[in-house]
Amino acid sequence: MLSPRDRAVLDALLPPGGPEGLPGAFEAGFEDFEKGFAADAPLPMRLGWRAALAAATWISPLLIGRLPPLGRLAPEEREEALCAMGKSRVYLIRQVFLLLKAVTSFGYGGTRAVRRVVGYDAS
Amino acid sequence: MRVDGAAGARFDEVFDYVVVGSGAAGATAARSLASTGRSVCVLEEGPAIDPKAFGDDSWGAFKTMFRGMNGQVARGRAFIPVIQGRVLGGSTVINSAIAWRVPDDLFAEWEALGLADALPPKELHRYWDEIESDLDAAPTPPEAWGGFNRLMRDGAKKLGVRADPTRRYASGCKATGQCLTGCPSGAKRSMLTTYLPQAEAKGAVLVTGAEARRVLIKDGRALGVEGRLSAPGRPSFRAMARRAVVVAASAIQSPILLARSGVRSAHLGEHFMAHPGTPLTGLFDAPANLWRGATQGFDSTHHRRDHRVKIETIGLPPEIVFARLPGAGRRWKEKMALARRTAIFAVQTRAWAEGSVREGPFGADIRYDLTRRDMMQIRRGLRFAAELLFAAGAREVWPGVHGLPERLLPGEEGRLDAGPDDPRCYSWILSHLFGTARMAARPGAGVVGTDFAVYGVSNLVVADSSVFPTNLGVNPQHAIMAVARLCAERLAGRS
Repeated sequence: MLSPRDRAVLDALLPPGGPEGLPGAFEAGFEDFEKGFAADAPLPMRLGWRAALAAATWISPLLIGRLPPLGRLAPEEREEALCAMGKSRVYLIRQVFLLLKAVTSFGYGGTRAVRRVVGYDAS
Repeated sequence: MRVDGAAGARFDEVFDYVVVGSGAAGATAARSLASTGRSVCVLEEGPAIDPKAFGDDSWGAFKTMFRGMNGQVARGRAFIPVIQGRVLGGSTVINSAIAWRVPDDLFAEWEALGLADALPPKELHRYWDEIESDLDAAPTPPEAWGGFNRLMRDGAKKLGVRADPTRRYASGCKATGQCLTGCPSGAKRSMLTTYLPQAEAKGAVLVTGAEARRVLIKDGRALGVEGRLSAPGRPSFRAMARRAVVVAASAIQSPILLARSGVRSAHLGEHFMAHPGTPLTGLFDAPANLWRGATQGFDSTHHRRDHRVKIETIGLPPEIVFARLPGAGRRWKEKMALARRTAIFAVQTRAWAEGSVREGPFGADIRYDLTRRDMMQIRRGLRFAAELLFAAGAREVWPGVHGLPERLLPGEEGRLDAGPDDPRCYSWILSHLFGTARMAARPGAGVVGTDFAVYGVSNLVVADSSVFPTNLGVNPQHAIMAVARLCAERLAGRS
């Protein structure tokens, strides 16, 4: 179950609008995917996902000199904070950011809406 | 005959041979043994998936067919995902069906280790001839190349380096780029659709949802296998073996099973070797259609011997491509919008590193650390891959390496060669796993002897890549199948 703080992270990671009509995370139906993930994924993976969301909420703002949680920041700052996780000098922060993006990608890039926009033809 | 352990109750049977694992090694061994007229049981921990059910949903495939939903990692300085199938047919269901014979220079290395008679090139080549015929191995045909495979050919041609269409067991490949999800078009000749049904037709019993927990060993003799079925309540099963137990559960699971069964050797679970790989993305002006073409349809072995690297194309669905693209928010989405114009060349190296495999609280505890030499090879490989991409027309490459710029332009390839030495700065996957129950000509030097039998235990053989004395530098399925065939033929007294 995604909390409002989790939703703020995912909204910052994949916001609505943008290039070529790519939808936002929630417009693409990420919430349904996340429910399935929470039910099916092995415990270490689920713990990793929760840790990634928590790190994005509480640690990423600190990387750009702002106070957490992420949801308090302006939209541009949220994006900057998340990007800073990917460039962090701390390996574990980069890894949890990669996990955050990997899980989100599955629930996003695997949807028909997104695949259609990027020209994926599975036939 | 098939037994579904997910639906089954207690199972207790006696066979001539019990084979643990249904991948390249287990299926090949089972087919050979079944052809002798003896009774054979194949135990597979994962489920049996109807090939008609294969789709284009990567997450669905991860859930049903990959070990730990593809969350298995090797730990060292860096965390490295270790990819393995956990399904009837093993990793052959999810890999790209690549057929590489062991190169001659590798045979020379094995000979130097005293294994020339144990792994004789002539006999293995005879098996490869048969396997290639059985599974229709052929170079990926131009109609299955798609844009991204063609780019490697173009780049290599321009540079004058060697690159070839990959030889695969996928005659009639429909270029859907979906090897990973099992091949919905049915072109891939995985063990699920070839050797396992053939073994079954010769009387082998295929038991799925059956986790082998222990080889039963009494007075130095293997008697059978016990384990748990995946049905509710995890009922136990026993498959007793009159003649032998064949362990073919992979270089991760085989040493764990043997150790749990009481096999003791200083080499068991040690010497874990692999081919670590890392991707390089190139951005082109025109669509490269990363998701339309044979998944791994072209490769370059130009630097296999001098730099121990192999470069291969890889086609992936958007959900997997996106995760590695840089940025977040709008910046990430801008990269996603460009994904169709990208091609990925993956660099894999014949690493020097040796790690270990033990049983851990959440499955296998895999320890693996790349050496400085490995890092040097990888950096060189990334440079070669960038040269190929630029020669093919890439306007920029995205290294995805911490400490390097997000993008490099033509003429900046050298920065990859001078990239960081720390494996934590790179994105990795670990595939092609070897050596954790290695073969040696004398007991103190390995786990199995030249007859594949575990030292100190009769009627117990290991038939998978655990026994390989070295890694290969090329994709191993073909080598695994021939070696498993050799093991089975020796076991049956036919070789």
